[in-house]
Amino acid sequence: MSATVDDTWRDLVTGALLGTDRRDPPAVEGPLGDLVADSATDSSSERMLALVAACTSVRRAGLRPLPPAAPTAPPSDDQRPVCPAVAIERWRHVTTSWPVLEDEWTVTLLERGWKMSPTMLPAALRRHRRDAVRHARVVVAAGPLAEWLIDLRPELATTRPRATVDPAALVTLPELPVPPELVERIGRADVDQATADLAGDVESGRLGTAHRAVLINLVARIDPGALPEVARSLDAVEPMAPGHPLASVLSDLARVRGRMLHELAPAD
Amino acid sequence: MPVPAHLTVTDLPRVVERCDTASVPSIEVGESSGNDRWSVEQVEAIAPAPAAVSAARPLATPTRWSGTGADHRAVWGACRGSGAEPYEVVVDHVGVATRCTCPSRRVPCKHALALLLMWSNGQIPDVPAPSSVEAWIDGRRQRADAASARSDSSSSASDVAEPSSASDATTDRPETADPGASHEPDLPPDLPQPPEPPDRTRERDERVARMHAGLDELDRWLDDRIRTGLADPSLARYATWDQLAARLVDARAGSLANRIRRLAGEVGARPDWHDTVLAELGLLHLLARSGRRLADLPPDLADVVATTVGWQVKQADVLAGVPETDDWIVAGRTDAREDRIEVRRHWLLGRETGRWALVLSFAAYQQSLDTSLTVGTSVRADLHRYPGAALRCLVGRRHDEPTVAAPPTGTVAEMCDAVGSRLAVTPWLDRIATTVRAAPAQHGDGWLLTDATGSVPLLVDRADGAHADSLDTVLAVSAGQPVDLTVEWTPRGVVAVAVHSSIGSIDLGLRADDSFVSAA
Repeated sequence: MSATVDDTWRDLVTGALLGTDRRDPPAVEGPLGDLVADSATDSSSERMLALVAACTSVRRAGLRPLPPAAPTAPPSDDQRPVCPAVAIERWRHVTTSWPVLEDEWTVTLLERGWKMSPTMLPAALRRHRRDAVRHARVVVAAGPLAEWLIDLRPELATTRPRATVDPAALVTLPELPVPPELVERIGRADVDQATADLAGDVESGRLGTAHRAVLINLVARIDPGALPEVARSLDAVEPMAPGHPLASVLSDLARVRGRMLHELAPAD
Repeated sequence: MPVPAHLTVTDLPRVVERCDTASVPSIEVGESSGNDRWSVEQVEAIAPAPAAVSAARPLATPTRWSGTGADHRAVWGACRGSGAEPYEVVVDHVGVATRCTCPSRRVPCKHALALLLMWSNGQIPDVPAPSSVEAWIDGRRQRADAASARSDSSSSASDVAEPSSASDATTDRPETADPGASHEPDLPPDLPQPPEPPDRTRERDERVARMHAGLDELDRWLDDRIRTGLADPSLARYATWDQLAARLVDARAGSLANRIRRLAGEVGARPDWHDTVLAELGLLHLLARSGRRLADLPPDLADVVATTVGWQVKQADVLAGVPETDDWIVAGRTDAREDRIEVRRHWLLGRETGRWALVLSFAAYQQSLDTSLTVGTSVRADLHRYPGAALRCLVGRRHDEPTVAAPPTGTVAEMCDAVGSRLAVTPWLDRIATTVRAAPAQHGDGWLLTDATGSVPLLVDRADGAHADSLDTVLAVSAGQPVDLTVEWTPRGVVAVAVHSSIGSIDLGLRADDSFVSAA
C-alpha cells in the first residue's frame, strides 16, 4: 500500500509540474482511486486536485518512522555535582543585568567543586566564542561534556587559538580598573565607617554618574564580607538626594553579588 | 483582562489593552491597613522575577515621574516611558493590585515596582487621591464585595443542594460558563443600557455568502495553478499569491489567507519545494470543497472546517461552552510571525485525559504576548475548546497555582501513531505537538531523533521554525542518551520545542523578536 501511494505521489508531482493542460492526471486504482471516485468530474484539473488531496491525506495519516539510527557515543563521565538550579538562574540574571559578575560566577563555580549545568552550556559556549580565556573556563567548568559537544557542533568552538590560554588565568579573576584611593578607603579596618563614608560621598554627589563605572568595579571586587554593610549603607542614602539613583544601582549590585556567592556555597 | 463579549478572536490583536487591573497573585506581603509604607523586601517579594526589580530601579527616581502621591489605600503617578504619553500607574497597596497603561503583560510591571520602590524610600508625598484613583479603588472595593456576596450565596446554595460534592467541577460550571460574570466589565448600574442587537441572522447570512464566494475563487485559482503547472513562472511572483490572499481576507477567510502567504514563501525555498507546495494545494482544495459543503458534514467536522477556513467564533461563546477541567501540563511553547502579528502557541497536555490543547496569543507591534503559562509546569484549570473538539482552547478559570511537571513520553513509533491518528481526522494541520523519549543522532548532514522503534528527522533550521540553539541544548542535556522531549510535528520532520530532564524543563521554542513585541 505504502509503495503504491508513494509511487502515485511521484506521478502526481511530475504531472503537476507540467500541468494538466499538457498531461492528464495519472489513472489511480485501488483504495486511493475509490477515495476520489465520487468527486471525479470531466475536468482533469479537478480530478488532479482531488487525487493530490487524497494522496496527501493518506500519506500524512500513515506516518511511519524511519529505521532506527546508530546512537551517538556519549561523553566520558564527570563525577562533580551539577550546580544548583538557583545558581543557573542567577547566571542568567547576571549575564543580562550584571555581566561584570560573570567571571566571578564561573571562577567560584570551579573553586567550589561544582560542574556547569548542561542546560546552560550551549549558551555559555556561544557567549564566549571570541574570548579564549572565558571560553576555556566554560569548557573546564562543564568537563568532558563540553569537549564532546564541541566535537559534534563545531559552531560552538572558540574562534581564538586555545593554546595561548594560561591555565592560571582560568581560576583568576581579571582585574577591574578601580582608583587606588577608593580601594584604600574601602579597605580600612573599620568597614562600617568606610562604607558609610562611601555612601555619604555618593549621596552628596561627590561620587556621581561620572564615577559609576569605577564604583561598579569596586563593588564587584570588594571583600564579600563587606557586601551586606555596603548594601545597607547605600540603602540609607536620602531618597531626595542627587546620588540616590546611583546608590540604588550599587546597592542592587551588592545584593546580587552577595546572593550569587551564597548560592554557590561549596559542594560537599 | 476583561474582553468585551462582542469582540471576536481575530479582533484581539487590535484591542489588547495592556497591563490593566490585575491582582498580584498569591504573594504574601503583609496586609497594610493604613499609610504604612512597604519595605524594599516587600516590593521585591511581589516582583515576578529578580530581574524585574533590577529593571525597575533605574525608573525609581523622581525625575522620571509626575503627579505622584499616596494615601492610606493607594500609590499613584505618571511615568515617562518610551511611549508618547506617560504611563499612568496606580497600586492598591492594601489589596495588593496594580494598574498601569504600559503594554507589559508582567504583573506587576516595572513601572508599578518602581513606584513602590520610590514609595518605600519615602519619595512619594501623602496627598489626597485624584478622582481617577478613587474611582479605581471604589471599583475594586465594589467588585470585592460583590465577589464575596456571590461566594457566600453560591456556597450556601451548594451546601443545600449537594453538601458532599462541593469540590465537584460541575458545581463550578454555571459560574464559569456565564460570560457576563467573567468577561463583562463592571459597569455602574446607572449607565444607559446597550443598544438593541443588530439583525444577527442577516449578518451571518452575508458572511456565509462572502465566504462561499471566497472559497469559489480559491478553488478557481487552484484549478488554474494545476492546469498551467508548478513550473509556470507566475508562481514565483509574490503578487500571484498575495492578490489571492487579499481577496480571501475580504471574504473573511483570514486563516486561508495566512496559509496562502506562508505557501508563497515555500516556492523555490528548497530543491523539493514542488512536493511541499503541491501537497498544500491539495489540502487547500480539500478545505475549499468542504468549506462549501458544511451542511453535509458531520457537525463536529463542520465546526472544525469552518474555523480552519476562518469562521470567527466569539470568545464569549467559546467560554460559555462546557469546560475541560484537568491538570494541564504546559508541554511546549513557540512563537511565529504571521504577517504583522506575532503568534504564540502554548501546547498543553491534560494529565488525566491525555488530550492535547493549543492556546494562542497574539501581539501586534509593541504589544506583549501571554506569559502566564510556563513550560514545565502544570496548572489545574478549565479549558474551553473551540467548536468541533478542536485543538485550540481558551483558558478559563484557574483553580490552583502552577506546579512543576513534565509530560509523559512514548517511543518514536508511538509518537508517529499519535500524529497519524490526529492527521487522519484533520489532515490540513501543519503543526501538531507530541512527546517522545529518544536520543539525537547524526545522519549525514542532518539529525534524527531515534530509539529502538525508529527515527524521525529533527529539524534545526530557523526556516523550519526551529530555534537555532535547540539542537545544542538537546545534545547537551541528553549527552547522547534518550531524553524526554516535546516536539512539533511538521510535514518535513519534527521541531524540538522543550526538553524535560531531572534538572527541569527547558523551553526551546522560537522566541518573538524583542524589538517587535514588548517584553516587559
